[in-house]
Amino acid sequence: MKKLIAVLLIIAMSASMLVGCSGGSDGGNGGKQAKDDGVIRVWVGEESAEYYQKVCDEYIAAHSDFGYKIEVKGMDTGSVAGTITNDPTAAADIYTVAHDNIGKLASTQCAKPITDEALIAQVLADNPESYQKVIYSTLNDKQYLYGVPYISQALFLYYNKALVTEEQAKSFEGLQEAAKAAGTKAITVTGDDGYNMCFALLARKVSDKSTTVKIFEGADPVAGGAKGESNCQGDDTVAIIRWLQAYAADPNGFKWASSDGWDADLDKDNKGVLAVIGGAWHYNTAMSALGETNLGITMIPTFTLTAEAVDGLSGVAAGDVYRGGTFADCKCFMINAYSAAAKYAKEQELILYLSSKEVQNGSYLECMNVPAYLGAESFIKQCFDEGKVTESQYNLAAMQVSMSEWGIPQPFITGTLNTYYYSKNGPAVFRAMIDKTAYPTTGDQILSETESLEGIRRGLYLVEYLWMHGVAPKEFPASLPEKA
Amino acid sequence: MSTNVHPKKYRSQSRNRAVSLSVTYTILIVLGIVWLIPLAWIVLSAFRCEFQPDGTFIGRVTSNFFPKAYGLKNFKDLFGATYYGVPNAFLKWILNTLLIAVIDCVISTFLVLSVAYCMSKLKFRMRKPFMNISMIIGLFPGFMSMIAIYFLLKSIGLTGNPSHPEYSVIGLILAYSAGAGLGFQIAKGFFDVIPNALVESAKLDGCTSFKIFRRIILPLAKPIIIYQALMSFTGPWMDFIFAKVIIGADNAAYWTVSVGLYSMLFGTHPDTNLFTQFAAGCVIVAIPIVTLFMFLQRYYVEGVTAGAVKG
Amino acid sequence: MDSRKAIDSKTKKNLPGFLEPVGKAFSEFGKRFADGSLGTKLSHFIFGAGNFYHKQYIKGFLFLLLQAAILWFMIFCPSINGTPYGYKALLNLPLKNLSEGGDFDPVTGHFTAGSDCKLMILFGFVTIAVIIIYFMVWNMNIKSSFKADMDRKVGKKPTTFKEDLKELLDSKFHITMLTPTCIAATVFTILPTIFMIALAFTTYNDQDMNNLGTNLFHWNGLQNFRAVFTGEGSLGVEIKNRFMPVLGWTFIWAIFATTTCYFGGIILALLINKKDLKGKKFFRTIFILTIAIPQFISLLAVRNLLGEYGPVNAMLMNWGWIKSPIGFLGLNNGDSEILAKVMVIIVNMWVGIPYTMLMTSGILMNIPADLYEAARVDGTSTAKMFFKITMPYVFFITTPYLISSFIGNINSFNTIFLLTGGGPAYTGYQAGGTDLLVTWLYKVTIDQGSYNTGAVIGIFTFLITATITLVTYRRSKAYNEEDTFQ
Repeated sequence: MKKLIAVLLIIAMSASMLVGCSGGSDGGNGGKQAKDDGVIRVWVGEESAEYYQKVCDEYIAAHSDFGYKIEVKGMDTGSVAGTITNDPTAAADIYTVAHDNIGKLASTQCAKPITDEALIAQVLADNPESYQKVIYSTLNDKQYLYGVPYISQALFLYYNKALVTEEQAKSFEGLQEAAKAAGTKAITVTGDDGYNMCFALLARKVSDKSTTVKIFEGADPVAGGAKGESNCQGDDTVAIIRWLQAYAADPNGFKWASSDGWDADLDKDNKGVLAVIGGAWHYNTAMSALGETNLGITMIPTFTLTAEAVDGLSGVAAGDVYRGGTFADCKCFMINAYSAAAKYAKEQELILYLSSKEVQNGSYLECMNVPAYLGAESFIKQCFDEGKVTESQYNLAAMQVSMSEWGIPQPFITGTLNTYYYSKNGPAVFRAMIDKTAYPTTGDQILSETESLEGIRRGLYLVEYLWMHGVAPKEFPASLPEKA
Repeated sequence: MSTNVHPKKYRSQSRNRAVSLSVTYTILIVLGIVWLIPLAWIVLSAFRCEFQPDGTFIGRVTSNFFPKAYGLKNFKDLFGATYYGVPNAFLKWILNTLLIAVIDCVISTFLVLSVAYCMSKLKFRMRKPFMNISMIIGLFPGFMSMIAIYFLLKSIGLTGNPSHPEYSVIGLILAYSAGAGLGFQIAKGFFDVIPNALVESAKLDGCTSFKIFRRIILPLAKPIIIYQALMSFTGPWMDFIFAKVIIGADNAAYWTVSVGLYSMLFGTHPDTNLFTQFAAGCVIVAIPIVTLFMFLQRYYVEGVTAGAVKG
Repeated sequence: MDSRKAIDSKTKKNLPGFLEPVGKAFSEFGKRFADGSLGTKLSHFIFGAGNFYHKQYIKGFLFLLLQAAILWFMIFCPSINGTPYGYKALLNLPLKNLSEGGDFDPVTGHFTAGSDCKLMILFGFVTIAVIIIYFMVWNMNIKSSFKADMDRKVGKKPTTFKEDLKELLDSKFHITMLTPTCIAATVFTILPTIFMIALAFTTYNDQDMNNLGTNLFHWNGLQNFRAVFTGEGSLGVEIKNRFMPVLGWTFIWAIFATTTCYFGGIILALLINKKDLKGKKFFRTIFILTIAIPQFISLLAVRNLLGEYGPVNAMLMNWGWIKSPIGFLGLNNGDSEILAKVMVIIVNMWVGIPYTMLMTSGILMNIPADLYEAARVDGTSTAKMFFKITMPYVFFITTPYLISSFIGNINSFNTIFLLTGGGPAYTGYQAGGTDLLVTWLYKVTIDQGSYNTGAVIGIFTFLITATITLVTYRRSKAYNEEDTFQ
């Protein structure tokens, strides 16, 4: 006898594990899909969960033959892609991500393509060409539409109206002047990642909206492997880095994202900083930090290159005015690869409705989501004229529309991550350059002397290399020529 | 002693003693204040009720130690608020934690006692290997296996189960209590002190091992039972890492209270303006736990000492 | 303590040689097969056959059931999410011939699954565990039948099922008591630990896998360990450049955190337990508060108190001592690393001293009063008495505590994670200035998804704590005389 009982218990345990599994999957056929339990789960941004639950309920009420219950849940759309790739089987049937995650989700087979013809037609008819380029990905050498855009977003500026005039908020120099008077820093960002750093890297010359920066330009998201062209080493970029080095070193200049949270900095009682470059998803927090009367919203300011910044560079001149850049992104609906096959048609039918213009308009009115479809600005203006939104709510949408003219959609390379954003330590190299500190890279190479022209060139070479290859180069080239 | 012989010396000694006593008081009072400041500050912040001139509530960390205005707003907001899309989330978190704590407390205490008794009072072949294995396993950083436990629970549907998010609670209880038996050392140290003669004589009287455990050991083990119960009951109130990984960052309706409070300041949507609400939550969580500790202090000290001296 | 040691001392058994039990087991097998009855012989192939032979039907049936269940498990390979158990799980363990999956039918939306490498490893280990169980049961079933043979030989009746059950409450009581823990700990502690150790030898790293656009990973031998010297791989630079600094700081931290809290606690205990002092209980309660309050509350309170906009900085600025906020805890870029390190050690004293105080109070009371009396007669000063009598006595008794608290401090996650989050950050690295091995492990695994690198750090942490334990703990009297206490 002895240990028999013990072993029996172990077996019972394993048996219960097996029972558990046979409940969770349909046995040996190896299919990806879970069982169809009659519910379609939808993940949207936290701010819009209530609204989408409401429209879904309306939809079911109007279509009694739909056959599924719909549960909508609010998620943090910034981190949701990570949640999904970690465990797609636990994710919703339909989820929402920023478009730059499409490549990652499609290539790791967490997403199912869109095949419904009506839905594809709607996507192609409603959306700007820039979005259409970034919502496709490949599966088994065929191109498929993966994401359905329904919200567009761009970065802009929140500032403290109590301490900054409208005119001062138009330029970095103006903010600096106001900061000097208030004894604070001028401007901060909401994080130190590649997304937040784009205000400097993607800055464009005001006169002709030009920049030499290219990120995977011409990369075909559909044809596998073509990485396109990248450039991060133009003289204008070097000049901008130098300008920002000086601006960050100034006691009333740029401040990195603080551990206490950017909103703690922005709070007028704390007097940490006067303005922050953020997105629509920071609206509520900014409002609670500053209050309705003091919260100003405008475009990302301009800055003027100094003589020191352009010293020794060609193609740029002191006095050139640049505007801080942004990414002009869209959020998309996607279908989970692990969602039951039986739901597939119904899911696409639901997305067709959820991404329609009227639902997007409602989403603007109720959740301040800027619609993604072409020509949405006339609706935004109309809402303001009819008094349906407050001035700051109008600005919130209008400034994003204005800023999107200065931005590009976050690019990504087919089948892999967006190595701009996620490239190992690209943003960290950028930060090291601004802070004029050293940065260690692969092998025994160390990026140093980042205060010198040569150091900056090497740093930008490193950033560009990281974009293209995802890893740092083994060594720096002997000399780095100017690159137009 | 020598007091009669040297009366002068005695007097000076007593004066010395008075001086050293008052020095001791001073040191202790200063230290006491240092120890209480952070806790007092949390309590004060919980009752802080300040507004900006335009009526916006100031919920963040402010530079003034003492609030300019007091009120119960933070507590009201805390219980009424919807966090992460979960209405009345705080109350749910508390009830959830209570449920987990009670079940974990029962299971863990039972497992620890049974293992400790075997290790201390029974003789069998696998005893030493068992002790060595449990010691080796205990040397690995606890949450190194956290991810693996998540995968394991996931594969049997006890976490990250989209159709049954509530199963995650069962998963967490398992994760908390399943390994508890390996932490038997303190209880074993306590059982070791119970004289073997007591067990031997009962055996001669024809008692079975089971009877000895129930009739003799358990009644004597009250302090260590209370200690173990206290430890395993308070564990779920204090842990914020394991609970978040097992229950899932997106499963806010089934979080424990510490995960909820922690994520107010450091979650995916950290909001520094929630600091005073966080403080209010801390006060609510701390009150029952501190009360428990104060009531059961004697047992706690006994348990800690048993573990420390024995090792 | 002393009284425990005094109880009957047995001679310590010598550890049997490694080969001895193996040889013994083999000879026993041969003997059982040769000497056993027909039933015993059959038991080598069909579980429970011997028990049926001796008319122990229930027991025989249970053995047979177990064999059937395990064989079914091994042959029919039940699967979860498309990953099988059983013999297929063993074939999967080398992680060869994996399929990326992704066969997609646009009409039905049917999507075939690819291989799930982590489940393959996990299930492979579960299957190995089941095989071990199979052989344990095999051995038990032969033994059980052989015992019945012997009982018959001496004219006794083989035990009935009821008698066997009774045994479980008496001479086999340890089996009843240990079974739940054995099962639970195997499934939820030992298996996960082995699984994580295995990951250290794979390419399981979310970043690499994302960059390659795959969800598969492979075994890669010792490559992750070599990264400590070569700096290869996605986190290689980090491992190579930050491993030694983090390791060094972990030791410095553990030494300072342990000693400051230890001596601080003893001094505090002496102060509180001073003769004639009134309000002992009151003072003690104040200090116990920090133990009773969850650390995430008390430590986050301190963090915010010392934060950039917290009251401490505001006060110092109001007094004109400083012009701009000091980054005490290294939370922002450019804050001083040394200051952050000193601050965590100081704040840790706030957390740890009450604990030692509580523990040593009892010990201090137990110091035989005549030791002090004798010293006083000799005119020994108070300070001298502290070093000559109090400390040696306390130190002798609390050595195990000192060791375990040193190891506890090496693994002290909460203090660092909640206070500094590992800051001040090093540009380009996960591991900041105050990161310990454990907090680094957390960042690398949970934040970065580099499970293989995390496992390497975990294994190194284990090696360190295990070495310390082996060297000190096994030599200590408490361990060696463990048997004599009973």
